[in-house]
Amino acid sequence: MSYVAIKGGGLAIQGAESLLEYLRTEQGEGGLPLDLATIQSQLRFLHGKVMSEGGLYHPELAALAIKQFMGDSLEASFALRAYRSTKPRLCETPILDSSKMRLVRRISSAFKDIPGGQMLGASTDFSLRLLRMDLLDESKETFQKTTAQWMKHTKTDAIPDTFPKVLDYLREEGLLPASNPKLNMDAFDITREPLIFPVPRSAALATMSRAETGSLLGIAYSNMRGYGDVHPTVAEMRVGYLPVMLPHPVTGELTEAGEVMITECEVVAMYEDDDEGGKPVFTLGYGACFGHNEVKALSMAILDRSLQKGMKDGPSNPSEDPEFVLLHVDGIDSMGFCTHYKMPHYVTFQSDMDRLRTTQEKQRNKQKKEAQG
Amino acid sequence: MSVTTEKMSSIVDRSQWIRLLSKLDAEQVVAEVNTLSSGWQITPKSLPQSGLAMLKLEDSAYNEPFYLGEIPLATAWVDIVTPEGSNADGAAQVMVDNLEFVQALAVCDGILANRLPGYERIDELLRQGLEQCNREEQRRKNMLAATRVDFSLLDAVEDDDEN
Repeated sequence: MSYVAIKGGGLAIQGAESLLEYLRTEQGEGGLPLDLATIQSQLRFLHGKVMSEGGLYHPELAALAIKQFMGDSLEASFALRAYRSTKPRLCETPILDSSKMRLVRRISSAFKDIPGGQMLGASTDFSLRLLRMDLLDESKETFQKTTAQWMKHTKTDAIPDTFPKVLDYLREEGLLPASNPKLNMDAFDITREPLIFPVPRSAALATMSRAETGSLLGIAYSNMRGYGDVHPTVAEMRVGYLPVMLPHPVTGELTEAGEVMITECEVVAMYEDDDEGGKPVFTLGYGACFGHNEVKALSMAILDRSLQKGMKDGPSNPSEDPEFVLLHVDGIDSMGFCTHYKMPHYVTFQSDMDRLRTTQEKQRNKQKKEAQG
Repeated sequence: MSVTTEKMSSIVDRSQWIRLLSKLDAEQVVAEVNTLSSGWQITPKSLPQSGLAMLKLEDSAYNEPFYLGEIPLATAWVDIVTPEGSNADGAAQVMVDNLEFVQALAVCDGILANRLPGYERIDELLRQGLEQCNREEQRRKNMLAATRVDFSLLDAVEDDDEN
């Protein structure tokens, strides 16, 4: 016996689905449906997270997914990733260079005077975590006035289009490994190939760039607290828009097809000796993801460094173990496994109960025999 | 990029045309192209497609390429023949799903590159796209300028709080 036939399950499922839709619209005449532009703008961090974890930079559909799943970021990312599996792949971009990013924020915790200067951009780093009660009854007029006022009175003459990288400065000082572009190196495609260990670093970076933020943070935090020794210094954290370049079909010249907002983080970690007798240099970690998500980019950079160490010397803690990290950080994989426990396990549980009862019976018989002497 | 009275397509490099035009409302561009190219023979040189592209990025720590994720992409490459017998081809690749829009952009590319009859109207669209791009750039630079950190020693400048 493998399955138990039941009556009326289909109706209950339909009812559950329509009830979900009822809850989404339960404000009735007193409410308005969320419009996608509002989600993209006012829920921008959630929106970026969904694009990043879904692995697809599609602002409109990410907003739709958030609306449809009422803010559940895992479900929304799942829907986005399911959508991508229905679309044909047309091509891949040439290797894009993040130094071409159009920045809206760049900071460094390594130096104060970084070339080009530090610009905080939009950040909660300095916010008091106190609720702003004035937003409880925010008027449309106040809302619109803020934007209009903010855009006035700012001199932008001295702001360049792009900025030099802090890592390039450290390289010039001879403190980092020399730059070594690997234009012919293949990148591992995690959407088409399974992770069979050991995997190349490109597989780790791709897996982490679409990983669930909390999962990455949790494992990176274990390293920060002592189950590891990365001790990162943020050389540069940058947020901005990366131009997506593709060769023009007629001219062959690289042409801009659009731009994606990304967060990128480079960390400098403990220095180590060169195996081939060169001078010791700092080691590095790298993190990047779609959207504005600094916790994710920094966690990824820490884990990139810890995984490099694990791949080289063998893992000495969970965050250095590629298999442990890379197979447990995907939000959609882990959510799927977790939620499958809600599905009927009637047969397997019946079997568990039978075995338990048999074991209890055996124990009772044994105790009876021992009591009889 | 600055906006002048010269023809935009002479000032702005072809590699930026699609970027600027795609800033505009898709319906506006499609309507303009449909009006302008009425009676022209426009045939695809390759099948217009809508799908995804893998975004490959170089990690700036060790210069290794990896896939950051996927992006939507629509592509079109068209051959254009005008009633006067002018022949041109144009192409576009844009991060959208809208096939009608990308085909219209490909026609714009062909019109501008070959100065086909009526190209001034597409040039005007290019100007509008450039203005929009400049506004966006200005907005982003505002964000940076307003939050630039001044690391001068406190005793060397007036305290920010007093301003």
